Amino acid sequence: MTATETIEHTPTSSANTDHREDFLGLPLPTMGSRAVAAGLELFFFILVALGVYLVEYFLEGNITGFGLSNWWIAFALMALWNGWTYASAQTPQGTLTSHFIADSTGAPAAALTIMVRQLIRFGLLYGIAILVRGVDVAVLVLVGLLAGACMFVAPKRRAPWDILAGTTVVTGFPSGAQLELKPLTSIADLQLDTKRGRQDGRARRLLFVAGLFSVLASALIVWSIFREAAKFVLDDEFSLDILTGIGWFPRRGIFDLWTLFVGTLWITGIAMLVAGPVGLGVAFYLSEYASPRVRRWLKPMVEILASIPSVVIGLFAISFISPSILRNIFGDIGIFSILAAGIGVGVLTVPIIASISEDAMRAVPNELREASYGLGGRRVTTALRVVFPAALSGIAAAFIVGVSRAIGETMVVFIAAGGSGGAIYEADPREPGQAITAAMASLGAGTDSVAGSGLAFQSLYFLGALLFILTLVLNVISDGVVRRFRQVY
Amino acid sequence: MAAITTPSEIRAGLEKRRGTNTGGQIFRTLLLVALVLAIAMIGAVLWSVGVDSWSLLIERPWSFLSNPSNSSAELAGVAQGIRGSVTLAAIVAATFPVGVGAAIYLEELADDNFLTRLIQVTVRNLAGVPSIVYGLLGLAVFVQQLRGLTGGPSVISAGLTLGVLVFPVVVITTSEAIRAVPQSLRDAAYGLGATQWEVIRHQVLPAAMPGVLTGVVLSIARSLGEAAPLLVVGAAPFYSTGVKNTLEQLTGAFTALPMNVAVFARLPADTWAAHAAAASVVLLVVIFVINLAAIILRNRISKKLGR
Amino acid sequence: MTLTSNSGQHAVEATTIRPLSQSNQRSGEPVNKEIKIAQDAAVSDIARPPASTVFDVSDLAVYYGEFRAIGGVNLDVGEHEITAFIGPSGCGKSTVLRCFNRMNDLVEIARVEGQILYHGIDLYDSAVDPVAVRRRIGMVFQKPNPFPKSIYDNVAFGPRIAGMKGDLDELVEKSLRDAGLWEEVKDRLEKSALGLSGGQQQRLCIARAIAVNPDVLLMDEPCSALDPIATGRIEELMQEIKTEYTIVIVTHNMQQAARVSDRTAFFTAELDEASGQRRGQLVEYSETGQIFSNPADERTEAYVTGRFG
Repeated sequence: MTATETIEHTPTSSANTDHREDFLGLPLPTMGSRAVAAGLELFFFILVALGVYLVEYFLEGNITGFGLSNWWIAFALMALWNGWTYASAQTPQGTLTSHFIADSTGAPAAALTIMVRQLIRFGLLYGIAILVRGVDVAVLVLVGLLAGACMFVAPKRRAPWDILAGTTVVTGFPSGAQLELKPLTSIADLQLDTKRGRQDGRARRLLFVAGLFSVLASALIVWSIFREAAKFVLDDEFSLDILTGIGWFPRRGIFDLWTLFVGTLWITGIAMLVAGPVGLGVAFYLSEYASPRVRRWLKPMVEILASIPSVVIGLFAISFISPSILRNIFGDIGIFSILAAGIGVGVLTVPIIASISEDAMRAVPNELREASYGLGGRRVTTALRVVFPAALSGIAAAFIVGVSRAIGETMVVFIAAGGSGGAIYEADPREPGQAITAAMASLGAGTDSVAGSGLAFQSLYFLGALLFILTLVLNVISDGVVRRFRQVY
Repeated sequence: MAAITTPSEIRAGLEKRRGTNTGGQIFRTLLLVALVLAIAMIGAVLWSVGVDSWSLLIERPWSFLSNPSNSSAELAGVAQGIRGSVTLAAIVAATFPVGVGAAIYLEELADDNFLTRLIQVTVRNLAGVPSIVYGLLGLAVFVQQLRGLTGGPSVISAGLTLGVLVFPVVVITTSEAIRAVPQSLRDAAYGLGATQWEVIRHQVLPAAMPGVLTGVVLSIARSLGEAAPLLVVGAAPFYSTGVKNTLEQLTGAFTALPMNVAVFARLPADTWAAHAAAASVVLLVVIFVINLAAIILRNRISKKLGR
Repeated sequence: MTLTSNSGQHAVEATTIRPLSQSNQRSGEPVNKEIKIAQDAAVSDIARPPASTVFDVSDLAVYYGEFRAIGGVNLDVGEHEITAFIGPSGCGKSTVLRCFNRMNDLVEIARVEGQILYHGIDLYDSAVDPVAVRRRIGMVFQKPNPFPKSIYDNVAFGPRIAGMKGDLDELVEKSLRDAGLWEEVKDRLEKSALGLSGGQQQRLCIARAIAVNPDVLLMDEPCSALDPIATGRIEELMQEIKTEYTIVIVTHNMQQAARVSDRTAFFTAELDEASGQRRGQLVEYSETGQIFSNPADERTEAYVTGRFG
């Protein structure tokens, strides 16, 4: 976006000398460009105000009404502000303090720049208006501090909105064109300017803290999950007996893990049955058969599939897969079934398997293919006998990652498998069932009013710990496989 | 294999080879079937969502977008979901500097020691943790431990949870973008007497920006589609909006678009199927627009850098 | 001054008296190694005493991990002179050059032994900051490496970070003029520097380096990626800016060293019997005319006459 770029008094060849006499070396805008810029400001002011009004109307609904709203306050203040800056922009001082947005050549700034500036001004006023009406001192102080920090950090006289809008501010005035070199007299002259040194040190420390964050996040996950999971195991009510039973009924104290394991196994298995062949086929086609032109179209298609959220696939499972496909095959199958959920998860897993396997196949050096063709091998022979074995470890890693994703997939199962608070043990995938993730989602969704209901709440973490360990092991395995496959080439 | 001597034997051999190519044809056909299946999946998803939502979106598009959730199917809308998703995206975006900073640390500053390897391993493993487990983290840390700051099950808790969720993705994509910056660029800046931070701030980061921004925008898209962690953190299926100031909105009940979809999808299909599909359409549109923005952003910045 | 040799076995003609600078008090270096010989008429025209010494290198050795890339380097670099480093590939001449502005600090495994005095101050003193060193000792690299920014921003980057207070536009113009690039780029200062040709890019890199007004300019094979015409432009440029800067240039091209430099150091790499590794050393360092017309060491002669390397 051009607007966030800081224009630092970029010269053009002629402007350099011509305008120097004007005002402290600042080129003054012409009348024409002033008029254009003022017109643009007015236009965008009205546009922005209207836009904000529409957003406000549609977010607040009929609550605010049309009376003295935040919008009106902001609109009035904004009009005043624009009116004032317009007048002051017509003086050299006004130009200098950047009320007039222009390039240093005197040409009006780009329309986008002006629009962003108006948007930011309006946003500030609007935000302040909301806060003032809400009278929330804490937030007011926070905003004030933030704005102050922006002003403090900003070079010269830049207000926060000017930084964001990329207004021209002239930095420094002519005082010689040489960067003077201090004579080297002692070792102190070979030391870094303390300000820059401190800035460097600060930045490094900050970055280090950011790096540590991943360790912190991992530690927090492990700590938060295993602490509560341990409570579950160490609770007085806990015994190995409650881990078996007729099904998964956390509120009744029946935590039959086998129910969930079978559900997860079925779903993962079905998902891999769907995604394995399709994903691998797509990968083979993209890497071995598709021309570059076809690839350019197909690859984004696969990426579209990857960007569809899982809730939408969950909905797709119950609104399309079950009624339109499974009913036609199995007859009287219900809307909610493990089978539908498994197929849905499979749809989600296709792009993962396709893209990782394709990367592995494309990593196979072309010399191998050429050697195969040179020996009279056909495409199919090359693909299956040369590329496939060479990319095997990468493809294996793709499948492991796929399994890991299928196990961890929540929303499709939560929506389509049909298990809610509890589920009876079911080995037939055509019936509703429950998986680890969906059981967690049900517990967390409050359908079981989790907190304070005895062991049910801790069982959420117990399942989380199981899931965490399961996927961690799979990730470590796939990591090892991938590393081996990288070493080959 | 016996030696082939006569022309007829040669022809027979060649024909045999040509015959085996039916195997190639079958293989090719199988691949095409896989490809068609994959494309059919996309088509079926979009088609079924579009068809199911059509009646509702034709009947009352505006009120569906601008109404809050409601137990009556005639009034229910996704305004709260949109607002929640926008707020979530903003909070997630605010957490990106941590991920970008971690990537800079790993690529530019870190020595090859135990701590660095630990960070790398944890980042890789965090990327594979299922999203619902992040929900547990959010529930334990942001909702329960930090209740005073986040207000319990609030949009802040959810946004921070999603921030942690996309952290490894941000680190990995940023690392890749930084690794692609040629060493000669760093040498040039160091040679002019720049400190390490100045080299990073003025040369490495701007050069890596297209990659970083693409990764960052794509992870916003990903976090917007996540429902499982929100479910655990405590997104509300229904709540009344009322007149609230900003702080109350940030620390109060919340929902998001994927939550809307999930909630509608689990209600009786006779009356609510269209709502679920319509909410999905809104969500898909938002996500596709963001993805498109990522592509345009990347192209624009690349062009500006003259590459 | 001049002297020198890798370890003292080769007595080299020293045509002038060492100037009275701090480099005279080099510790551990016996003065009697400098054998002064009456000036030979044939070389008298190129034998001028340098104004003063900028770098005074003694017993420099660089290790990459366990591997000793180069060792036993002793030489002085005179002010406002062009000093050329020549030698076959892998002889460590670039490594020595990168010691002068502590670019080797950026290589994690690199370790420097010995001493480099810069105007009498030990460059590797713990109190010296490499960033401050590089601000005084600029560098031009083998491959043109402009920043992927506008031409203006390329030149302005150094002055900006150094806290330039004056007129940046004028400085950019002056630097580009000094580098002989102004006329070609003055109408497209805000265009990307990557749109320039290779030779223009390298001159931009020189403009960028001199914009911070350094004391010394290190050039690491600056012409190796350029065509003959661009090379000629850069050689002219070096002669023009030599009055303001001290230049040290590494080159593969012997003709270039002969054309542009005042003094030449010849490096070579020899197989170390004990470790089985090739390691670099300084063979001979003298007036350029001397090196090319009357080298003291037969290895130098073999190299400059094209018999190896």
